[in-house]
Amino acid sequence: MVKIGIMGLTGCSGCQCEILNCEEAIYRLIEKVEISYFPLAQDNNSFGEFEILFVEGSVTTEEDERKVKEGRERAKFLVAVGSCACYGGVQSQRNDEASLEEMLLAVYGRKELPVKVQKPRAVSEVVKVDYELPGCPLDKRQFVYAVASILNGVKPFFPKIPVCHECKLSETECLTLKGIPCQGPVTFAGCGAPCTASGVGCQGCRGNCDFPNFEEMVEILKKNGLSTGDAVKFLKVFRGYQSKEIKLSEGVVENEKGA
Amino acid sequence: MKRELNINHLTRVEGHGAVNIVIENEMLKEIKLRFTEGPRFFEFITRERLYSEIPKIVSRICGICYVSHRLASSLAVEDAFGVKVTPEIELLRKLLVVGEYLESHALHLYFLALPDYMGYPSAIAMAKDYPNIVRRGFFIKEVGNRIMKLIGGKTVHGENILPGGFKSVPSVDDLKKVQEDLHRVLPEIKATISLFDSLDYPEFNDPHELQMCVEADDPLSFGDKVTLSDGTVFTKQEYELFVEEKVSDYSTAKCSTIKEKPFLIGPLARVNHYADRLLEGTKKQLFLLKNSFPSSNSLHANLARAIEILEFALRGIEITEVLINASPFKGEVPVAPKKGTGFGVKEAPRGTLYHRYSFDDTGRCVSANIITPTAQLQAVIERDLKSLVERSKEASDEELKKRAEMLIRAYDP
Ligand code: SF4
Ligand code: SF4
Ligand code: SF4
Repeated sequence: MVKIGIMGLTGCSGCQCEILNCEEAIYRLIEKVEISYFPLAQDNNSFGEFEILFVEGSVTTEEDERKVKEGRERAKFLVAVGSCACYGGVQSQRNDEASLEEMLLAVYGRKELPVKVQKPRAVSEVVKVDYELPGCPLDKRQFVYAVASILNGVKPFFPKIPVCHECKLSETECLTLKGIPCQGPVTFAGCGAPCTASGVGCQGCRGNCDFPNFEEMVEILKKNGLSTGDAVKFLKVFRGYQSKEIKLSEGVVENEKGA
Repeated sequence: MKRELNINHLTRVEGHGAVNIVIENEMLKEIKLRFTEGPRFFEFITRERLYSEIPKIVSRICGICYVSHRLASSLAVEDAFGVKVTPEIELLRKLLVVGEYLESHALHLYFLALPDYMGYPSAIAMAKDYPNIVRRGFFIKEVGNRIMKLIGGKTVHGENILPGGFKSVPSVDDLKKVQEDLHRVLPEIKATISLFDSLDYPEFNDPHELQMCVEADDPLSFGDKVTLSDGTVFTKQEYELFVEEKVSDYSTAKCSTIKEKPFLIGPLARVNHYADRLLEGTKKQLFLLKNSFPSSNSLHANLARAIEILEFALRGIEITEVLINASPFKGEVPVAPKKGTGFGVKEAPRGTLYHRYSFDDTGRCVSANIITPTAQLQAVIERDLKSLVERSKEASDEELKKRAEMLIRAYDP
């Protein structure tokens, strides 16, 4: 039987919980494959060869790095699940603002911890990743679709269209037009836009769609009550290393003064 | 003679942990419970962020008890800005918590703990021989998920849970569906209680000197005070003056004590404390059990979880009734930032949780402190492990490891 593994690095286990929420899919899966590694859910784990290895969480310790490198060597396909694994996660949102020492001092009052700590990184910043299923947490329908595709030798494909597209499909009234800050126009769809449906603007948890226009996005967020600085921080929460793409021209930043 | 026991990777617990035990000449020399998780710097990454971003960020501390983190942080924001929510919002929050407990406790009971008692490596492996038992676990979890999705917007990390309430609220039809679901899940929960009452819990009675939980009329409420089993009651503002956190030199989780003592939190502490205040329907079930509460056997935390989900499901049915009669109601009250500090204390499924934030006059976070159940459990688990090892010196290494793991899983740190 082919083997699959589910590994957790530094994260909240929310993505692994979403996987455990796929009740029917799990029953069908265990008829066809062996889940040989899944420490959150079982104790007989073996770290052998994997057809697919799913990785949740960001690389934040030396041990995380060692584990994911070893996993990479043993896996035919490595799939990063969730925004921690895909982009670095909420824990990496201030990577460009502070040093590791500063963060450690602020939280622990010391520069070193009993484990060797690094700045949180996405899995793809450390090893080659075959597929990414972003989201915080990942979407369980996409997980089921990806597993089925890979096991059947088909490449899973998720077009990087913006979340706005899904509002249109589900006939959700646009929040931006109502003055509510929403990141839908620059965010990778696939979740079905559950947040905008409850009246909360998209928080950008799935990272960038193709060709995001951040400059325009910041202008719109400003119209909806945020300052330039708050708009940029709002955009950064889940984007991890992708935040580097948020470049604003002088004019946009100028407006910040007095805001 | 020196004997060393190392469990390098604890499985079937949320997060990453390890245990080292050293016994020398029949004497216990050392016990270390180490959490090896990478740090995520929440108290730092919330700084400079607008208050509206805080619940979303700290939600990601834990994917299993995110509702508690979101609510505790929202309560803290409201406390800082002097916001009062309506009784309907408060009830909707409690219903959300019912969902959280059903999902978290069912996950814990069926997927993390039960395989130990049934002799399987996982619930998935158990499903071959006991398909209906595992389906029951999935079903209770699913009912919890549906409630969280309905009220929060998503099953995990729902963005509809905000300071001031909710952007949208369920319709009468949705609330009726929740009520039906809760009625349907009751027999499954009662069966869960019988199952967990019938398990063979190793004798493990080392009374907990100190137990702690939120002080309120019922276990679903979010109080402003905390109660200790020695009779002390302190306010949320005094929390950090009682619960002392120390950075550990072998674990990435901080370690808390009260009056220099380890203290029990979580389902067992709660059921011990609230036993008299449970609903009649829950009390009736309690009479039928062979085990009784208050209990000092830490492994009974599992049975306490089963009792809590019955209590919460029953309260959930009452809440939906009130909300249906109050519909339509507004889900939100306005929130306007001002300078100040706010506190949020709440019972998460694993135990008491504390959030504190200070804001400047524009509502940007200046400093934060979060004390998680994990940090508070480290010392009490180590205390329990000590007494376990002292009682089971005759046990083989294999057996001792197994018992230690079962004990740690009962806490699910
Ligand atoms: S991506 Fe989100 S849900 Fe998944 S592990 Fe990270 S924080 Fe948790
Ligand atoms: S609500 Fe947001 S995601 Fe939906 S259409 Fe409007 S801008 Fe796009
Ligand atoms: S709508 Fe936005 S924030 Fe909500 S799940 Fe989708 S991508 Fe994430």
